[in-house]
Amino acid sequence: MAADVASGTTVIVVDGVTKHYPGVPALTDAHLTIRQGEVRALLGRNGAGKSTLIRVLSGVERADSGSVTVGGAELADGGVRRAAELGIRTVHQELSLVAELTVAENLYLGQWPRRGTAIDYAAMRAGAASVFQRLGLDIDPSATVGSLSLANRQLVEICRAVREQPQLLILDEPTSALAAAEVDIVLDTVTRIASQGVAVLYVSHRLEEIRRIAHSATVMRDGRIVDTVDVGEADTGRIVSLMLGEAATAAARPPERHVDRTGVPLLSVRGLAVPPKVLDVSFDLHAGEILGLGGLMGSGRTEVLRAIAGFTHAAGTIAVEGHTIQRPSAPAMKRLGVGMTPEDRKDEGVVPLLGVDENLVLSKFDTVSSGPTVLPGKVRRAAQQLIKRLSIATASARTPIVNLSGGNQQKAVIGRWLHAGSRILLLDEPTRGVDVQAKAEIYRLVRELADGGAAIVFVSGELEELPLVCDRVLALREGKVAGELTGRELTTDSVLSAAMAA
Amino acid sequence: MTVTQTTPEQRRGSVGRPFAGRSLNEIGLIAAIVVLYIALGSTAAGFLSLDNQLGMLRDAAMVGIAAWGVTLVIIAGEIDISIGPAVAFSSVLVAKAAAEWGIGIGPAVLLTLVAGAAWGALAGWLRARFDVPSFIATLGVWSALGGLGLYLTDALPVVLPESGLFDVLGGTVLGIPTPAVVMVVLFFAFAYLARYTGYGRSVYAIGGNAPAARMAGINLARVRVLLFATTGLLSAITGVLLAARLGSGNGGAASGLEFDVIAAVVIGGTALAGGRGSMLGTLLGVVFITVIGNGLVLLGVDSFLQNVVRGVIIVVAVLVNVVITKRARATRET
Repeated sequence: MAADVASGTTVIVVDGVTKHYPGVPALTDAHLTIRQGEVRALLGRNGAGKSTLIRVLSGVERADSGSVTVGGAELADGGVRRAAELGIRTVHQELSLVAELTVAENLYLGQWPRRGTAIDYAAMRAGAASVFQRLGLDIDPSATVGSLSLANRQLVEICRAVREQPQLLILDEPTSALAAAEVDIVLDTVTRIASQGVAVLYVSHRLEEIRRIAHSATVMRDGRIVDTVDVGEADTGRIVSLMLGEAATAAARPPERHVDRTGVPLLSVRGLAVPPKVLDVSFDLHAGEILGLGGLMGSGRTEVLRAIAGFTHAAGTIAVEGHTIQRPSAPAMKRLGVGMTPEDRKDEGVVPLLGVDENLVLSKFDTVSSGPTVLPGKVRRAAQQLIKRLSIATASARTPIVNLSGGNQQKAVIGRWLHAGSRILLLDEPTRGVDVQAKAEIYRLVRELADGGAAIVFVSGELEELPLVCDRVLALREGKVAGELTGRELTTDSVLSAAMAA
Repeated sequence: MTVTQTTPEQRRGSVGRPFAGRSLNEIGLIAAIVVLYIALGSTAAGFLSLDNQLGMLRDAAMVGIAAWGVTLVIIAGEIDISIGPAVAFSSVLVAKAAAEWGIGIGPAVLLTLVAGAAWGALAGWLRARFDVPSFIATLGVWSALGGLGLYLTDALPVVLPESGLFDVLGGTVLGIPTPAVVMVVLFFAFAYLARYTGYGRSVYAIGGNAPAARMAGINLARVRVLLFATTGLLSAITGVLLAARLGSGNGGAASGLEFDVIAAVVIGGTALAGGRGSMLGTLLGVVFITVIGNGLVLLGVDSFLQNVVRGVIIVVAVLVNVVITKRARATRET
């Protein structure tokens, strides 16, 4: 934990900032000060107003009232350029790097140093190297960004902001796409940046990260700042209850479910291998069972699911209800009742331009058609049933799916397979990037589906959620099953140690 | 992110709802067409005459028939630039088969349509199976068919034999030019296909997010092959109608038609990036382009200068469309 920063000079003062969108008070009377060298966590569920606050601070949106001052100078209506002048830098959740360019070129994107009319590559590389050196990072400025790991790309993104010597660095969920082992280096880097006198506003859903790097946490709810707490003193229950607004109980392991594992398994996998990532994975999955697949980034979780769903060719055998599938192609596995939801909801899950209704029925048109004709009435009814059954919060069945929150989009992507009548659901990171409450709803939904007889494989890189959902967890390590955990043995610690230990 | 309230009216225009679509772009196009009619009606002699209007219908069919298929291709995020030479080659093929190969008129037409579907499917297969960009796959078809049409005929017209079928195809039905009738029938068929079939909705899904469509179990390869087979078939239909109208097959006919077709589709509001577009928009785009072409001729504008004017008007039309769409989206999102 960082040193005492109470003595640092105040970098930014947010005084009574209010921002209303038509009909929606997105941000109401926000007050906030951050000091030099301080890491301030910003917490809140999706829709709590964090994004709006960030947009106002970075000049993208103008506040309706109130003021933002940095080192005594007011942001006023200066927009993005003024915010940059004042030294406010924001690193957004989505990476904005050009994969084909080198690390150094990305660091200086659009502001390439020149000698005469030519770009001065030597100066650029030297500048990049000095930023990395200052932060103790080992990244080659001449490497193309596309060749870097996800964690290193995130670091390059952060370093780009740091290169411009910001007063206030805003980080919006910089670790949400990273596995536990990769998170460390990002957190260390943030701590080091703060120790060099930069004020950091750090948005994250992961409480354990915040405990490691933040001095204090500002909690938002319904567009208001409800409290700023000392991270060291407030326990998780208090922070969660501030976020949720009502007396929220810390997520406890739900009661054990009874699964009949005597009959023929619905899904049987033997010696599955997709080199180099998956080497040898075997398991049985019964109707009504929720099997977790846990492991660190690169342990082969996604590849296992894609192989079972028929998207990649794999060695080994896959059997459904005891019948070995000779050629597990995607259409064949779909017919057999296998449905997979992808980890990347935005890139592989939803079709953004289509409505919730059309996204739901995409997996199967037969049941909403008469002959070759898709009947809008049937589509609407089918969609409305699923919307109700899955409690998807949407203005209407025809609302474009991008207007929904991440959690509701995820439910719709799962619902797509319920529409197709799938019995074996392969869920890849279904809770990634959704807020605490939506996570709880997805856990409940998954358990309900299993109660209804579905067999579910639940993949997660957030190992602490596996005991909350699964009956049984396989820990994957380097493409092999490194441990199987059930009952009392099934804890976050046990999964993590199986996934990591040799 | 909270759930944003969006009324059905707001979203209609953005995603293909051919009959319900009343988006700004479509209203704007209708207004532009009305303005053109008033302006040309008062300045260009004979513009409003029945003969000229029927002639315009005939011209519209040249662009429109292929444009229905190309709309789907572009919505799926692909492109087909082979239309012009494909139409020319089809007119040559049907004329050769009917006049010189002695297989009979009906079979000659059928052969041409099957061939059209086949070269289209070939381009689609190259795209689907080998990831050859559709621009390149159809550029190959464009070049090969263009060359083949001229090679087979030494660039001379191939005269069609006398036939009742060709008379009908090149003539009129109840006073309406047959190509226009075909165009209208196909319009309804494609509007239906786009909106009310699993295939049509899959096309929107693929153009909107291909990986997501794949994960949802949609057979991308099948859709892509069908898309280009369809445009090949429509090109062949246009070629047969053209041959019937001219009384001959001509390897150099329909030069540059592919760009009129693409322009009509894009003016109609279909996004070149895919996922967004409607048949009604394309219909209006076809009318728009046809009226301008006709008006320029009637006004006696120099034929080289016509191309300049058309180029400017097409770019301006798309520009207005883009600005309107952006503004509409911006108001929706705040």
